[in-house]
Amino acid sequence: MNNTVLSRVAERVYWLGRYLERADSMARLIEVNARMIMDLPVRVPILWRPLIDITGSAALFDELYGPNAEANEHNVCRFLATDTRNPGSLINSIANVRDNARHVRETMPRITFEHFNDLYLFARSALVAGQSRSRRSTALAGISQRTQQLEGFLSQNMLHDAHWDMLRLGNYIERADMTTRIIDVRSADLFASYHELEPFQHIQWSTVLRSFYAMQCYRASVREAIEPPLVLQFLFKDARLPRSYQRCLVGVQRSLRELPRNQAAQQACDRAIAALEAADVQQLAGSESRTALHAFIDQCQVDLAAIHDVIVETYFATAPHTATA
Amino acid sequence: MTIDWQSYRADNLWDELVTVDGQPRPGADRLLKALTGLTNDEIRERKTAAELAIRAMGITFTVYDDGAHIDREWPFDIVPRLILKPEWDEIARGLKQRVRALNAFIDDVYHHRRVLRDGVVPEEYVLKSREYRSRCAGISPPHGIWAHVCGTDLVRDADGKLYVLEDNLRVPSGVSYMIENRAVMKRVLPELFAHYVIHPVDDYPERLTACLRSISPHETRSPRIVLLTPGVYNSAYFEHSYLAQEMAADLVEGSDLVVGDDDCVYMKTIQGLVRVDVIYRRIDDVFLDPSAFRADSMLGVPGLMRAWQAGNVALANAPGCGVADDKVIYTYVPEIIRYYLGEEPILANVPSYRCSEKDHRDYVLDNLRDLVVKPANESGGYGMLIGPRSTRAERDQFTRSIRANPRNYMAQPMLNLSAAPTLVGNAVEPRHLDLRPFILSGEDVYVTTGGLTRVALRKGSTVVNSSQGGGSKDTWVVELE
Repeated sequence: MNNTVLSRVAERVYWLGRYLERADSMARLIEVNARMIMDLPVRVPILWRPLIDITGSAALFDELYGPNAEANEHNVCRFLATDTRNPGSLINSIANVRDNARHVRETMPRITFEHFNDLYLFARSALVAGQSRSRRSTALAGISQRTQQLEGFLSQNMLHDAHWDMLRLGNYIERADMTTRIIDVRSADLFASYHELEPFQHIQWSTVLRSFYAMQCYRASVREAIEPPLVLQFLFKDARLPRSYQRCLVGVQRSLRELPRNQAAQQACDRAIAALEAADVQQLAGSESRTALHAFIDQCQVDLAAIHDVIVETYFATAPHTATA
Repeated sequence: MTIDWQSYRADNLWDELVTVDGQPRPGADRLLKALTGLTNDEIRERKTAAELAIRAMGITFTVYDDGAHIDREWPFDIVPRLILKPEWDEIARGLKQRVRALNAFIDDVYHHRRVLRDGVVPEEYVLKSREYRSRCAGISPPHGIWAHVCGTDLVRDADGKLYVLEDNLRVPSGVSYMIENRAVMKRVLPELFAHYVIHPVDDYPERLTACLRSISPHETRSPRIVLLTPGVYNSAYFEHSYLAQEMAADLVEGSDLVVGDDDCVYMKTIQGLVRVDVIYRRIDDVFLDPSAFRADSMLGVPGLMRAWQAGNVALANAPGCGVADDKVIYTYVPEIIRYYLGEEPILANVPSYRCSEKDHRDYVLDNLRDLVVKPANESGGYGMLIGPRSTRAERDQFTRSIRANPRNYMAQPMLNLSAAPTLVGNAVEPRHLDLRPFILSGEDVYVTTGGLTRVALRKGSTVVNSSQGGGSKDTWVVELE
């Protein structure tokens, strides 16, 4: 009977999981993009634009920086990393991590809060100092390291009870969301319009893999050249890749299994898994136009939103449920 | 250069570690010597380490300032305060005696009122106290205990004599800082621990859990205990969170709880409503239940009083227990002890004047410059007049207030609170302090070993409240082998 969680706490823990994952993804996304651009012979400003698109914040960016502003390294990094006016910025995600942690600190090992605090204090000072490229790089690496340490620490030290399941639900749903967004934007043929960049096409795809820490994994797992259909197949369906869409959904499924009153959420999750299994990703990737792939990714996003909605409705709504003693 | 004890002077007051002629008090020699062994750089280093530890551990208190809630890091002084075990044992005995009598008093007030009928305490003082709750009359909480958690403030005067300054029976706070101070100390000056047998303080949460279990209405199953907090913006939220964690209790806000048609209390969880047995509440009586007390309370739970009266849930501390923490009732505690226990008080009260009695009031009004005047029901050091530091205008204001509502005031002579060496820059200077031990009453009575030492960090100040420039020290109850 002790394995239960207050609805209010469950909601906080779930969002803690989401923001922690979001902070990690964002730090990696910026850093990987910056490195990719360093590999290119010319600096093409448009190559920063995709980061705005991945985070789905084009409208806000235009509003804050002017509709005709060129998306360049300086303003995109500011917008995504340190701009507190952008609710999805890295610094805001980390502030949200800490705020949620503060509300539920009693449910986690005492020492954990020090790590949350450290992440926040580090991010605040390092990101503000990090205007130059090398400092920014150090800051982002430090943030990634801390978020990952935190996840590892929690995994190894907190009780794997319903709090843990809620945290993991947040992690996996956010991760699945980010995985599909990155694929969606990156699979647009970025380089096609720049004739002089054609020789660097493979860099685009290794960048995608690096965004998932998955370069080595791909080599070890696929053992083929980096070809778009194989990369997509790997990122969507490989059960051994921790950040693949498939692996995220299975993570959601397993966490839900441990929770009470999980039927509706399980069904939503099963639907998402069925849609993934039915999809022929290699064929989608190989087709001439991106429309089919794009439509499939849209479907994935809809499926994820449906799982999220059921979780909110089942676990966080404050309407009284039937009494159990 | 290191700490120079020869130049340390605590004139005209009692210093906890050093005698008037600069000699260490019994037991303090090893501590002073160890501190002397530190260079200035080392002292600075340890002080910084303590600040970093407190920051990293997130030991904070929340203040409301300029329209915003701010988390401040807990101010901590690295020089510990020492109390020898034999002295402490006597103090602990006195605290237990005091709290037993106070609980008997509260239970009597809400039942037979013998103490009033026998004229020990005037009836009007009790029944007109702001903290008296008529709807608690006739209720019998388990073991007859109302004040389960008590934080009693002790001070020493210039001659070294110990007094009880006040009994905090409503929602006393500070115990988490007592525990965390020790944890910080172990990180920062671990070598000091080699010199003494220091009694640990960290079993408090377990004792509190045992106390709360002992008042559960259900003996048959493992009780579900929750801690009811006003929320993250409360100044003591850190402590609420800390204790909930240590006790593995759910930390709930009022909106997390509902009272069912069956007069039982439930909390809203991911599996539905789950029955709650014991509520350790850290919100004031008047906010507990908007249907019973303040209707505008957003913090409470409608129907909670009904559930408590039906005996379906235990509340700690019990509603209405604040009647014994009224500062005018305080003046009667020695008589209360004699009345219920037939014993002489072990711990002394500070001599006090009741403004509602004419001769006392006249004396108070004639001697405002030398007295400390306290309102009956404030806490946190607010609303007091400190005579020797007051302005003419403040004294005039208090004269009017006392005349208008004499029942609401009592006065005490200005004690010259004892001090202890406190790090100021690279040197140590005396700073005034008090001590708040915590007493738990359920099936058994338990007293913390030592308590929270609060220290006024501003030179000459005697205000130890953290919201007003106070800090704290680790408190060592030591045995000399």
